[in-house]
Amino acid sequence: MTLPTICLLTEAELDLDALVAQITLPTTGAVCLFTGVVRAVTTRDDPHQTTALEYEAYRPMAEAKMRQVADEIRARWPSVEGVALVQRLGRLAAGAPTTLIACSAAHRDTGVFEAARYGIDRLKEIVPVWKKEFGPNGEAWVEGSYTPTRGD
Amino acid sequence: MSNHLTVLFFATLKDRAGGRQASIDLAAGATVRDLRAALGRQFPALTPLLPSALVAVNRQYAFDDDVLPPQAEVALFPPVSGG
Repeated sequence: MTLPTICLLTEAELDLDALVAQITLPTTGAVCLFTGVVRAVTTRDDPHQTTALEYEAYRPMAEAKMRQVADEIRARWPSVEGVALVQRLGRLAAGAPTTLIACSAAHRDTGVFEAARYGIDRLKEIVPVWKKEFGPNGEAWVEGSYTPTRGD
Repeated sequence: MSNHLTVLFFATLKDRAGGRQASIDLAAGATVRDLRAALGRQFPALTPLLPSALVAVNRQYAFDDDVLPPQAEVALFPPVSGG
């Protein structure tokens, strides 16, 4: 059986249930799902308010890098069955899910939590997507902090 | 022989360059470092962003010593901030 791998950039609203269903196999007993959300109120570090985030991507490279992240997950956690990496694009209002990272496996103690965590961390490092933040004081691009090296 | 390249810009680099893409002619054998310098001459507004800009060549991250292959798809952008 081919293991499902979903790597998707989409303007459409994320259907978390449908994505989980797509990586649920007859042998699956555990799915770990992470979703990022547009945070309206930030209290940590630099407290501020956010009304919306607008995402853009270098789509062909982003798709290739999402596949690379999925391959890295499978190499590290061979017990993982299905992998879904989804990034929503366009203007997203506070409270909206922006991204989904989900990994499925037969059992919960096989690394699915760590695999999903790795997926979101790597997405934020190497997948070429950027967001512009809108708030009461105007708009500004959010800049990442990771500088890729060879092999990324 | 020259290498005629199309360079794609994203996020802050797109705003500063005033467009999504540009054409640039470099000598055959030119490197990513040469590309940064040439873009600074062609788009002075990009200069402050060029040292920290990431460069992708044919959809893979590239580094200053890398030689640009002919007809490569080149992109410049800030550190990514998806998720």
